[in-house]
Amino acid sequence: MEKEKLFMNSGSPPPLSYAASSSSPPPTWHSASSGMDVQVGELNCSSEQMRNCYVNLNWENSMDQSGAFESSLSSMVSSPVASNATIHGGPLALRELIGRLGNMGNSGDISPQSQTLGGSAVSYIGGNNSTNTSCYSTPLNSPPKLNLSMMDQQLRGNLPILGNSMPTHPSLVPFSTDPGFAERAARFSCFGNGNFRGLPCQFGFNENEFSYRPAPRLENGKLSRVSSSQCLKAAGSQLGGQENKEAQLQDGSETEMRSAAAASALASERKFSKLPGSSTPESAEFASAREESSASEQIPGGEAGLKGSNDANTRKRKAAPRGKAKDPSSSPSGKDEKTALEKEDQNAKKCKSSDSTGNENNESKAKAEPCGSNNTAGDADQKQSKETPKPPEPPKDYIHVRARRGQATDSHSLAERVRREKISERMKFLQDLVPGCNKVTGKAVMLDEIINYVQSLQRQVEFLSMKLATVNPRLDFNMESLLSKDILQSRGSLPHTVYPLDSSASTFPYAQHTQQGLPLQSSISNVTETHCSVNPLDAALRQNVGMQFPPADGFGESAPRVGTFWEDDLQSVVQMGFGQNQSQAVFHPQSFHGSLPTAHMKIEL
Amino acid sequence: MASPLISNPEASSDRSLESKKKKRKKTANQNPEDPTRWKTRAEQQTYSSKLLEALRQVRRNQPPASPEAPPRGRAVREAADRVLAVAAKGRTRWSRAILTGRLKLKLRKKKPRVAVAGNCRSKKPGASIIRLKEKRLPALQRRVRVLGGLVPGCRKLSFPELLEEATDYIAALEMQVRAMTALTELLSVVGNDAATSSNRSPPN
Repeated sequence: MEKEKLFMNSGSPPPLSYAASSSSPPPTWHSASSGMDVQVGELNCSSEQMRNCYVNLNWENSMDQSGAFESSLSSMVSSPVASNATIHGGPLALRELIGRLGNMGNSGDISPQSQTLGGSAVSYIGGNNSTNTSCYSTPLNSPPKLNLSMMDQQLRGNLPILGNSMPTHPSLVPFSTDPGFAERAARFSCFGNGNFRGLPCQFGFNENEFSYRPAPRLENGKLSRVSSSQCLKAAGSQLGGQENKEAQLQDGSETEMRSAAAASALASERKFSKLPGSSTPESAEFASAREESSASEQIPGGEAGLKGSNDANTRKRKAAPRGKAKDPSSSPSGKDEKTALEKEDQNAKKCKSSDSTGNENNESKAKAEPCGSNNTAGDADQKQSKETPKPPEPPKDYIHVRARRGQATDSHSLAERVRREKISERMKFLQDLVPGCNKVTGKAVMLDEIINYVQSLQRQVEFLSMKLATVNPRLDFNMESLLSKDILQSRGSLPHTVYPLDSSASTFPYAQHTQQGLPLQSSISNVTETHCSVNPLDAALRQNVGMQFPPADGFGESAPRVGTFWEDDLQSVVQMGFGQNQSQAVFHPQSFHGSLPTAHMKIEL
Repeated sequence: MASPLISNPEASSDRSLESKKKKRKKTANQNPEDPTRWKTRAEQQTYSSKLLEALRQVRRNQPPASPEAPPRGRAVREAADRVLAVAAKGRTRWSRAILTGRLKLKLRKKKPRVAVAGNCRSKKPGASIIRLKEKRLPALQRRVRVLGGLVPGCRKLSFPELLEEATDYIAALEMQVRAMTALTELLSVVGNDAATSSNRSPPN
C-alpha cells in the first residue's frame, strides 16, 4: 500500500545514509544474523549455508571499512568451516565473528553488521548445539545476561577466547554488557515475525533510548534500525518470492512482516538456496542470506518502528494479541523458555510456525482469533488497508469476528458479517418456531411464512376470544371454579389422572360438576397440547382443589360464598400448583411472584 | 496492552451468547427473554388464571350491557392480549406496547399496509424489468415493515431486534391460543352441561 511504500522509502534511505556504501553488506549481515537468530531450524541448516551467508557477506562487503571487515569476515568464514567439525568450534566461530563485528562496529554500519553476524553466529551455535535456547535470541542476547542455556554459557565462555584470538575490541564489551539492548533486539526479532505491530512501537522507543545512550548503544540502536529496515526489505523480498509472491518490498512493512514471519517459519524448512525475486540486488542477496536466518523478524520490527505511529499502533495491537495468542500454543520447537525474551521469541516463533504451518489465511485466521477484540473502525481500516494488497491473506481484525478466507476484510464488511450472523441466528430460532419453515430458504420467503403464521395466530386468538365472549355469559361461579380447577390442574394431563379427582370430588356437592369435569378434563387433555408432564402435579392439585371446595349445598345459595371460596381456592391452588411446579424445576420463580400479586389484585376486585 | 481490554468485551459477548444458549437448555434458571418460557405449563397456568380473572372482570363490566358478540369479543380479545402482555412481565417490547395502548397500534397497523399497496399500484407498467427490480429491492423491506406492523410496538425496530421480538411474540401467541382454546372448550362444555343439568334439574 501507499503507506507501506512510503515507509519503505523512508526506511531505506536512513539506513543507507549512514551505511551508504554498505548497503549490500548490512542487509546480508542482518539477514544472516536475524534469520539465524530466529529459527533454530534455520540454524540447523548445514554449515554450508552459513558459509554461504558469510560468503555473501564477503561478496557484498564492498565498503571502505570492509577492509578490516573482510579480514574478519574471512576469518569468520574460515572459522565456521573449521568449527563445523565440532560443535564447540561453531560457537567459537560465531563468537569470534561477534567479537570482530563488535570491535569493528565503530560505525553504525559495521556494528549492525557485526551484531547481526554475531547473532547469526550465535544462532549457528545454537543450531549446532541443538540447544534451542539462544536460537531465538538475538545475537545481542547471547552475550548479555540471557540465561538461555548452556549454549549461552558456552558462548560466553567462548567469547573471551575469541577475544583472545582476535584483537579484543572494547566494542565487544558493550555488546555483552548491553543486556537491555540485547533484550530489546531479541524482542524486536521475535516480534518481527509474529508481532509486527508491537515491534514498531517498542523499537521506536528503543531507538530513542539508544539515541540517548553511549556510543556502543547508539551503534546498537543504529544496528537495530538499520537491520530492521534492511531486514524488512529483505523480508519483503524474500517473502514475496517464497510465499505470496505478492509480498514485495513496496507492499509495505506489514506485508513484509507477515511474510517475514511466514518466511521465518518456513525458513527453517527451506534451504538457503531459495531466493525470492527481489526488487533490488541487495534485497535479493539479502533474502538469500536471510532465508535461513529469518532476519525478517528483526527487520520488520525495527522498520515498523520507523513507520508512522498509526502503523505502529495497529501493528502493536496486532503483535500483542498475536503474542498472547501464541503464548498458550506450544511451538514444536519451543526452546527459549528461560527468559522473557525467549518467551517472546517463542511467541514470535510460534506465530511464525503457526503461520508457516497454515497457509496465509490460516495464519491470519489464527492471529485474528486470538486477537479477537473490538477495534475501532480506524484501526481496522488501517490494518485492512495494508491487508488489501494481499487478498488471499485473511484480515486480522480486532472485532471478534473471524475473517474468512477469500472474504472482504473491510471493517464495514466485517460489521456487516456480524450483523448478518445475528440475523441468521434469529431466523433459525424463528424457523424452529414457525412450522413449515424448514424447507424454505431465503429471508424473503421465510419472512413471508413468519408473517403468515403470526397473522394466523392472531386470527385464531380473535376467533377464540369471540367464542369466549359467546361462552362467557354462560359462565357462572360454579363453572368458574370448575374451570379454574381444571385449568390450574393440568394442561396435558393423562386421562387416568382425572379419576382421582372424580373420586375425591364425588363427595362434594359439586359432584355433578366433577362428573362434568371428567369429560371436560379429557377434552381438555385432548385439546391442549403441552410438552410438560404434569401427572403427579395434576393429581395432587386436583385432590387439593377438590378437598378445598367447600361443601356447598347448591349453586344458587352458595353463589356469593362460592365466589369468595373460589377466589381463595384459586389462590391456594395457584400456590399449590406453584409449589408443585417448583419441585419439578420447571417453574420460574419470578413468574409465580408476579402472578400472585396480580391474582390477589384481581381477586380483590 | 489494549488487547486484553479489547478481548474482554469480545469474550464477554461470546460468553453471553453461550450463556444465552445454555440458558435456553436449562430449565431451572430460564432466561426471562427466552421464548421457550411460553411453552412451560406454569406459564400457561398463570396465563389461564389471569385470563379467567380478566374475563370475569369483563363480564362484570358489561353484565347487563349488549349481549352482542362483537363488543364482548373485542373486549375479550383485548383482555386476552392484555393478560398476555402482563404474563410477559414487560420484558419484551410488544408486551410493553400492548400495555401502553392497543388502540393506537391497531390504527397504525392498517395504515402502512394500505400505503404499501398503494405504492405497488402506482408503479407504471412501463419498464417492467426495472420495476420488477424496484419491487424486488424493497421486497424484503416491505415484509419487514409488515412484520413490524403485526408485532405490536415493533414497527420501527431494526431487523435483528424485530426478529427477536417476533420470536417471543409468536411463542406467546401460541401459548395464548392454547390457553384460550382450553378455556373455550371448558367453558363450552361446562356451559352445555350446566345448561343441560339446569334444564334437567327443575323437573327433578
